[in-house]
Amino acid sequence: MIPAAGIFLHGFGQRYDLPISLALYLYAAAGVVVISFVLVVLFAGDQVGARALQYPRRPVRWLTAAARSGWPQRIGGAIGVLALVAVVITGLFGSTNPVYNPSEYLVWIYFWAGLVIFTGLVGNLWSLVNPWAAIYDAMSRVVRLGPAWKLPDVGVWPAAAAYFAFACLELTTGMANRPWLVATLAIAYSTVTLAGMILFGRDEWLEHCEAFTVLFGIVARFGPVEAESEETGRIATVYLRPWGVGLLKPAPTGWDRVAFVILMLSTLAFDGILSTPAWQDFTVALEPVWLPMGALGFFFVRTLGLVLLSVAFLLVFITFMELVVYFGRRSVDLKETVSAFALTLVPIALVYNAAHNYSYLVVQAQGLIPLLNDPLARGWHLWPAVATFKPSFALAQASTVWYAQVVLIVLGHVIAVYLAHLRAGERFRTAQRALLSQYPMLLLMVLYTMTSLWILAQPITRETG
Amino acid sequence: MSRNRIAAAIGIVAIFVVVGGLLIYADAGNRRGHNRTLDVTVTGGKTMQPNLIRAYPNDTLTINVTSDTDGEVHLHVYDIQFATKAGQTVSHTFKADKTCTCDIEWESTGTGLGQLLVSP
Repeated sequence: MIPAAGIFLHGFGQRYDLPISLALYLYAAAGVVVISFVLVVLFAGDQVGARALQYPRRPVRWLTAAARSGWPQRIGGAIGVLALVAVVITGLFGSTNPVYNPSEYLVWIYFWAGLVIFTGLVGNLWSLVNPWAAIYDAMSRVVRLGPAWKLPDVGVWPAAAAYFAFACLELTTGMANRPWLVATLAIAYSTVTLAGMILFGRDEWLEHCEAFTVLFGIVARFGPVEAESEETGRIATVYLRPWGVGLLKPAPTGWDRVAFVILMLSTLAFDGILSTPAWQDFTVALEPVWLPMGALGFFFVRTLGLVLLSVAFLLVFITFMELVVYFGRRSVDLKETVSAFALTLVPIALVYNAAHNYSYLVVQAQGLIPLLNDPLARGWHLWPAVATFKPSFALAQASTVWYAQVVLIVLGHVIAVYLAHLRAGERFRTAQRALLSQYPMLLLMVLYTMTSLWILAQPITRETG
Repeated sequence: MSRNRIAAAIGIVAIFVVVGGLLIYADAGNRRGHNRTLDVTVTGGKTMQPNLIRAYPNDTLTINVTSDTDGEVHLHVYDIQFATKAGQTVSHTFKADKTCTCDIEWESTGTGLGQLLVSP
């Protein structure tokens, strides 16, 4: 058995979730299947070609004015830089116990879990709070910063690698709960990012090599805010649109982007799988391999699990996409089609993220409040009123958590099925071909959603006594 | 997609959501708590038997911790400390008003001993 597994679950701290009951699991699973087929019947014969991707949107004058004023960027940038500085200072000089160190809350709850979900709900908040962009922009007002070199054509592979490394820090190293390490890596990543922006150009680096810009860029496509810029880069109009439809907008294609979306799915799923008995069985079976490695064994077995799961997700996705193209009976570019369909999986990843992190956000997030009184654990009394704050569990009762989780997962599934249907209409041009091509995609989405539900239904702990 | 189809799709999802809510909350709201006593034994500040103890929401729980070592056993979420003395039993009684998989730790080392499962 892996020692003190409870400490290492997730970034840090314990989860308060309970496995959803078997009855609820069966109800949700049956609902997913029934709703999927009803949607297919409803969608049959719907728009095809370019019309399939048209969606309603409404210009919002006050949002346009606010975006043009530059204030959201300035305020957001200040918040981002402040948060980064707080992570570094409290991580290096605060308590070594993660429960009493703000850096852990800021990185793993507010940034990693919270910002992803809020970006999906609201829009690209990262583009406002990205601290490295803010620092670079501030520097460029003082000194002239031009790219020294041209970035080679690397797609978003560097960003995917950085994202994978970050996921490893959280899930496979078992060291995410060490504030000094979180702070040190924040300094290192900041240094690399700023150097990359200076050497290769701000946007070039951010859009290809900076994991979070690519991640939040993909997630923001789900969000309801859409900005159109003029040729000069100035924002022309800000629109509101229904959630999800932004994923149908033209996007860069390539296996790098497919891999990135699959990593989003697999890393999230892996986080859930870590607390299942199936994972414990896997690690026990591999004990002869990793136990002799000593301290590295823990990292090895988890990284191996994450790699295997990611490869499995990718292979399953590509296999199903081959089937989609086959049933679509139209000659299409596989890479472009796979890239376009990969984005329709984003709602599934996003809602699973929200379901998975629900208790984390509504309970654990409150743990930061009392730390504001003494963020460095030096016995300070900066804000005595919050020192005795106790987290509220009002929203964390099992019934509420289960209900939120099931509803979120089914809603995400419905949105994904709908988007895939529209994408098929655009790709395969006739209603019949689009419908045929949708059966494998529908099966894949049901499989992904069932996997999410299965993970949520797994017992977190196992009786040994 | 036509408006009728969108309305039909939203209607189906809404029915699913409402029925799911009724199923979950109708059952959870009616449960009354019982008095429950749970005995655990901690050995060497490293293991606990049984390692998983269960209760239902709103139960009045009495947990008796017997340890062969002086120290402190911490029940998370409820934030209850059992100050143990070698060979003696320490008890705490409380209402299980929070559902959770609550970690039970040997406080000085942070060693996970087991869990209290409070679940409908």
